[in-house]
Amino acid sequence: MAQQPLEGSQAIAQAVALCRPQVVAAYPITPQTHIVENLAKLIADGKLACELVSVESEFSAASVVLGAAAAGSRAYTATSSQGLLLMTEVLFNIAGLRVPLVLTCANRTVGAPVSLGNDHQDSMAVRDAGWVQLYCADNQEAIDTTIHAFRIAERCELPVMVCVDGFTLTHTLEPLEVPAQQQVDNFVGPYAFARTLKPTDPITLGTVLSHEFYPEVRHAHHRALLDAQEEIVAADREWHALTGRSTGGLLSIEGPPDAQTAILTIGSILGTLADAQAEYRDQAPAKLIKLRAFRPFPVDALKQACEGLRELVVVERAVSLGSGGIIAAEVRAALSEMSSPPRVHSYAIGLGGRDVPMNAYPKLVAAAQSESPPRFAIFDLQPAKLPAEDR
Amino acid sequence: MATLTRGAFAKPGTSLQFKTGDWRLQRPVYLHRNAPCHVACPAGEDPQAYLARLAEGNSQAAWETLVAANPLPAITGRVCHHPCESSCNRGDYDEPLAIHGIERTLGDEAILHGWNYPVRPLSSDALRVAVVGAGPAGLSAAYHLTRLGYRVSLFEAESEAGGLLASAIPAYRLPRSVLGDEIARLLSVGMTFMPRTRLGRDFTLDDLRADHRAIFIGVGNQRGRQWSVDGVVPRDSRPGLDILKEWLSIGSLPAYKSVAIVGGGNTAVDLARVLKFSGIPEVHIISYRAVPGPGVAAEDVMRATAREVRQAIEEGVIIHEHRGVRRLIIRGERVAGVEMVHTKKLTRSAGRRETVEFEGTETILHVEQVIPAVGQEVDPAGLEMLLAGHPFLHPDSWGRLEGFEGIFAGGDVREGAATVSDAIGDGRRAALAIDSYLRNSALPASQRPVVRLNDLNVNYFEPQPRTKIELLPVGERNAEREIEQALPLSHAGIESHRCFSCGECMSCDNCWTLCPDNAVLKTLEETAAGDHYVFDYDYCKGCALCAHECPSGYILMEPEP
Repeated sequence: MAQQPLEGSQAIAQAVALCRPQVVAAYPITPQTHIVENLAKLIADGKLACELVSVESEFSAASVVLGAAAAGSRAYTATSSQGLLLMTEVLFNIAGLRVPLVLTCANRTVGAPVSLGNDHQDSMAVRDAGWVQLYCADNQEAIDTTIHAFRIAERCELPVMVCVDGFTLTHTLEPLEVPAQQQVDNFVGPYAFARTLKPTDPITLGTVLSHEFYPEVRHAHHRALLDAQEEIVAADREWHALTGRSTGGLLSIEGPPDAQTAILTIGSILGTLADAQAEYRDQAPAKLIKLRAFRPFPVDALKQACEGLRELVVVERAVSLGSGGIIAAEVRAALSEMSSPPRVHSYAIGLGGRDVPMNAYPKLVAAAQSESPPRFAIFDLQPAKLPAEDR
Repeated sequence: MATLTRGAFAKPGTSLQFKTGDWRLQRPVYLHRNAPCHVACPAGEDPQAYLARLAEGNSQAAWETLVAANPLPAITGRVCHHPCESSCNRGDYDEPLAIHGIERTLGDEAILHGWNYPVRPLSSDALRVAVVGAGPAGLSAAYHLTRLGYRVSLFEAESEAGGLLASAIPAYRLPRSVLGDEIARLLSVGMTFMPRTRLGRDFTLDDLRADHRAIFIGVGNQRGRQWSVDGVVPRDSRPGLDILKEWLSIGSLPAYKSVAIVGGGNTAVDLARVLKFSGIPEVHIISYRAVPGPGVAAEDVMRATAREVRQAIEEGVIIHEHRGVRRLIIRGERVAGVEMVHTKKLTRSAGRRETVEFEGTETILHVEQVIPAVGQEVDPAGLEMLLAGHPFLHPDSWGRLEGFEGIFAGGDVREGAATVSDAIGDGRRAALAIDSYLRNSALPASQRPVVRLNDLNVNYFEPQPRTKIELLPVGERNAEREIEQALPLSHAGIESHRCFSCGECMSCDNCWTLCPDNAVLKTLEETAAGDHYVFDYDYCKGCALCAHECPSGYILMEPEP
């Protein structure tokens, strides 16, 4: 399959279209807008048979796709930032009802202060909504992960959020491979939801539930997310067999196998750090752990990846205010099960869209060797810009 | 122990288990009731039905629905006084539907496209029925009898069919070509037309009885009624209808400088306008009754069609309403004028109405001639036995003549018939009665109840002005050019959407959508009531929401049986 130059949003739209959604509902928000515009164009041009529902808010967009999927249609939506938060109530409902849906989150920070810049504050804020969350390192992964997402969602009866860094990926043109329709049809299969609402065999979704069953519901949902790890890995493996491309399943490791320092991160800064890893191979040798699945959180895969490490730098583009690193906290908890876990360093970087340059890599590797590392810090903080009392 | 379902979905105990129908104290029923336009139409048309076809965009189906009652829509669409519009419920909301104009448009479309009447070929053993008189009543009877499968012989004294339509209605109201096209097509549906064959001269009723199973008499009223003022009749005075007929057949008109026509019917008004068009400077009409207008009681209005009166006034005809002729002023042997007196119809004891002349209100009108247009009566030739000395026949509403089995009558030969539409309706009803007589079957059932404005839910209708029908400007009018202009088909289509669909389902889905118990079901097949909905009385609680929200008054609430 030849590569073609595509904008990230255009590529995602084509990937969605290849999965033949029957209902798309979305409300425009930067930097998600191009995705839905491209889908709308495919529908208008007659290249995709799909009901495009223009709604008045993200809350409605999520509600429409929830209803559509429950009524037997493959459905899709996309949003960003404040839009995702406006959907929050419905996101919990979708997951709690175990309705399969795919949502692209074009990651953008959350106001205030208002900014269009990219970080992961939005998707991290809804990490406990019960969705599968997969993060993409580049636009090829965005294409492939979107296709995986429909299959994972429908096989696990869980909604899947595909997180794609706003602007860095959505608005960047690069040469990309778009798979053939037949490949995708075979891979994803037709939409069939076991609890489709139909007048001939009525059921009630979203009933009131008392404590008599509530803990069991939560257990079942949690368990379903944990079990989804297998489906995530299997999808990636099969896709690799079909196309020769892997997106790394739950997580993947690059770099010298005997390195005792590793940087673990998520999303598009992996591209920068991978280039830097090659550039600084001798100067600052370290492994790069690419975390793809944040929900379910792959504890076992992570423990395995950290075997033999002494220093693990967790770099992330979001912050749990009043606590610190979000991924780092979960990594620390996971690795505490190891007999000799590495020391975990927690840094946020690139918040609000601040650029993460190549030379961040050697600095991170150097920081890992620090005698007394901070519990958490914003790595690219420029303290001189702070008012005196906040330094 | 109960176990969890995925996503905590529930198998509902469906609400279908709660048969809320047993709460019901009253039940809705779908009932096709009559639109007031239908009830008002003397010809028996159901405008609601053909407007609905037109609104669907099918003008041919609309015409076929129309001609199921009235085979001459291009004619009545021009000459009818359209009581349908006067009774239209929309008139009490904004403005009545332009039914009259639409009727004409459909009639003209049929002529333009050569649409055929929906008439089946006659069988070889079809019974023979005679129709005497090829005016609107006879044409209508002959058409409906042919549709019902009878072999019709249509006798006409004149050389062509049409009756008063041909002999007394001026071209500015009814172009000759329209009349010719409409009648020619009607005559070709399978009847035998025999012109120049006059009852009483060329054949007798007994002759007809010999080889026909039934007879319809539609000979009209051909003789001008006697008129005088205290026994004085001006020299040269001729009935107005005769003058009109002479002008229509040979084109001659008397030349006066001023003339007074006595009477308030269509003949008076037609003649007045023709005389005015011919250049007579002063044309007066003297009428006991009032010029039609808002607030004038129906029984007090001139018999002529209101719009014709309006147009006559526009053209300069002077109408003296509520006036009677007290005295003719004769100078030598010539008329010099009339003395008019103010009159009024007053209701006396027992509801009897009497025209009273007011002393002291006399005025003199100087005119060169006085023309009576006070009505006609039946020429008794050949009908002596049926008339028995009366000026008119008195059939019942089905055209049956008491004591004369197998003989039916209608149109102007009947006392009280006044219009072309009356005559067409008489012909249609008599045809049904003849069919019932010959088959020994029951007459069609009585009328359905009528829907009035408060039976409708007009909240579902936007106010929308009535489509305008253009008239020739007064300065361009003459006796030959049609004054009322056609309503283009596209405008007629738009106008048809204004129809409230009184009493008939318009498939709006309101009942189906709004029923709180989902007790309205849709059917693929048409139901007995003629729609696509049925009530599921197992669940209908009788809340009447459907009846209230039915825009067209098609749902009635009835007490539980």
